[in-house]
Order: sequence, then C-alpha cells, then structure tokens
Amino acid sequence: MSVEYPDSILLDEQHEISLNELAELSGLSSEELYQLVDSGVLLPINPEAAIWHFNSHYVISIRTLCRLKQDFELESNSLALMLTFLERIRILEHQLNRH
Amino acid sequence: MKFKDYYEILGVARTASSDEIKKAYRKLAHQYHPDVSKDPAGEAKFKEVGEAYATLKDKEKRAAYDALGRHSAGEEFRPPPNWAGSQANQGGQTFSFDDIDLADLFASFSKGHRHPQQPGQQPSMPGQDYEMATQISLEDAYHGTTVELSFKVPEYDAQGQLKHVPHAFKARIPKGMTNGQKMLLRGKGGKGFHGGKDGNLYLNISFIPHRLFRALGHDLYIDLPLAVSEAALGATVKVPTIDGAVNLKVPAGAKTGQKLRMANRGLPKHNQEHGDLFAVIQIAVPASLSERERELFKALADASTFNPRAHFE
Repeated sequence: MSVEYPDSILLDEQHEISLNELAELSGLSSEELYQLVDSGVLLPINPEAAIWHFNSHYVISIRTLCRLKQDFELESNSLALMLTFLERIRILEHQLNRH
Repeated sequence: MKFKDYYEILGVARTASSDEIKKAYRKLAHQYHPDVSKDPAGEAKFKEVGEAYATLKDKEKRAAYDALGRHSAGEEFRPPPNWAGSQANQGGQTFSFDDIDLADLFASFSKGHRHPQQPGQQPSMPGQDYEMATQISLEDAYHGTTVELSFKVPEYDAQGQLKHVPHAFKARIPKGMTNGQKMLLRGKGGKGFHGGKDGNLYLNISFIPHRLFRALGHDLYIDLPLAVSEAALGATVKVPTIDGAVNLKVPAGAKTGQKLRMANRGLPKHNQEHGDLFAVIQIAVPASLSERERELFKALADASTFNPRAHFE
C-alpha cells in the first residue's frame, strides 16, 4: 500500500475556501450560497472582496444543510434558518468538547 | 441480489398514493435522519427509508420496482428476463446482478433509463462522498503521521459489472491537528461513473486518550502532583512534555488547581507557532505514613496556625 498525498483541505476556522469550492463541496448552488450571505447567516471572510472566501468549517454545516434540503425537500427560505441552527449546534458542541 | 420490500420499509400498502408515500417518508425521516435523530441505529434505518422513497416517489422507478414481483424481504432473487432496469444499466451490455444491491440498481437505472444514449456515452455521475473516523496519538498529532484508510466503494470492473471493491490507501496527516479536526481528501471517495468526478473523503480525526496529557485545541494539560512540602516551600520538578522532559520551577505556596504555563510546549499550529502546556497542580499525600513522617506532620500541625477554612467563618 503506497503512501499517497491526496489534495487535502483542513476544515476549521483557520483555513479558507472560495465560494465556488464551497458550492462544489457542499452541493448547494452558488445562487443559494449568495442568498445565505444576503441573509447574514453565511459570513464571507472579507465581504468587500471581489471573490468571496469563507472559513472552511462551513463545508461541514453546509453539506448537512444540503442533505437536509434534499431529504426533507426544504424550500430555500428555510435554509437560512436551518444554517443558523446548524452553526449554533457546531459552536455549542465545540464548547462542550473543550470542557 | 437480496430483495428489499420498499413498501414495508415505509409502512405503506403497495397501492399507496404518492401523497401517502411522501407522508410516510417524512414521518420516518423526522424520526431517523442522522442529522436530526440521536438514535444510534437511525443512520442505517434512514438509509433504508431514503432508498425506498427514492424509488417509490418516482413513477418510472416505482413501476420498474413493482415489475420485480413480490418477494420476501431478504430473499435472494433475480429480476425477470427483459426487466427494464437491466437494459438501462449497461446500454445493452451483459449485466450481472451479483454483488450489487437494489439501491445500486435503481441509482444507475435512473441515469441510464431516463436518457437513453449509445453505449459509452452514458451521462456522467459523480462518485459518492464518504466519511470516516480515524484515531491518532498525541505524538502523531505533534509530529505528523500517515494513516491507513480502507473501505469498500461501488465500481464497474473491466467487464462492466458493478461491484463493491476495497479501496485502501495511506494518507498523510500533517502536524498541527487538533482533537476533532475534520479533513477533506479530494477525490478519495467513490469513483465517478462515465467520466463523472470522483467523490471526496471526509476524515474525522480524534486523539487516542493519552496516559499523561489532555488536549484542548492546541494547548495541552498535565496533572502535576506535588508533595505538601514541595507545594509549601516551592521546588524545581521534572515535567514530561511531548518533546522530552523539562525542569519546571514551582513557586512556594502552590495551590491545587493552579496552572503553571509552559509556553510553546503544546501542539504545533499551522502557522509554525505552538500551543502551550499547562501543568495543573495537585497536592498529593502519601497513602500511608512512616512513624517518623507521622511525628513530623503532628509537630507541624501543632506548630502551624494555618487555617485552610478561614473563609468558612
């Protein structure tokens, strides 16, 4: 078994990915991601930048969001609310693991 | 191939309407969806429910499923000759039903059947994403390591048959991981079909509990037991770190729970810096005392005016 060095991304608050990468990895469309930014629940690192980048930890919550959208046939209006809760759960679980 | 009774899984009659199927699915999804349910068996149950719904919600797939006939759940069966799905699957090539299950069959059925194409020109289908957990030691997190990963993925073999094949490789874990770190390995999930992109692998990395250290982010904590005399008088003690032991000066009057910080002795960060190591003081007393120790402690108790519970008054 040979050692491989696959192209890897660490998913945390220190690393970043572009909007296109986030769309590709999460399964949501760029338009849906724009709507989440407009709703104020998805925060670009620099909202003024020509190309938006995001902390890579969003990949996990937005993949979950995409699964929930497909499995529960959610409307796009529900996505912002759902992401707010997913992010809150992520932060609380992170705090719980630190104690 | 083993038969699965999709109607039974959703708890509906074979004559159920689309609305009844959707309603039954939603109820079960709320109960078992792995992102919602805390039931440990929920994920496997939801997979069955999702698979059943994906087939029964679609008129063409439901008709093809019904054409498979009635069998008992778990019964070995083969689709009838000229069954629609077998043609669609392989663009007319010989098709084997060995080593695949109904989910694989209907997943490729939808692609092949809806958009009939010439053999070799079937629509592309991205590979499946996979999620795995792996444990590494604190030492490995400190220095970086490689982990062996192995799982089965569906792939077409040289004869064009869909099979679950082992997928094994070693992947490099760079130094700087924290407990619970998630890492994405591009293209290391399931193979894409007909030119589709390979799926990704999501790796959840956790630490094997260490005999001495606890990790919180990039900081490490170690309990530092001190004798009563060391805590009262101060001492220089040898403390292990991941990178070898160091001498730590404990100030006189050290208290239980007090943390002594050893800067940059924690886990490495991605920016070349390190977290810190904290020694958490614990006052230790001998389980049994010698005669001489007992005399000295008695003499100390008689001579001392120290009241550790002064704040109670």
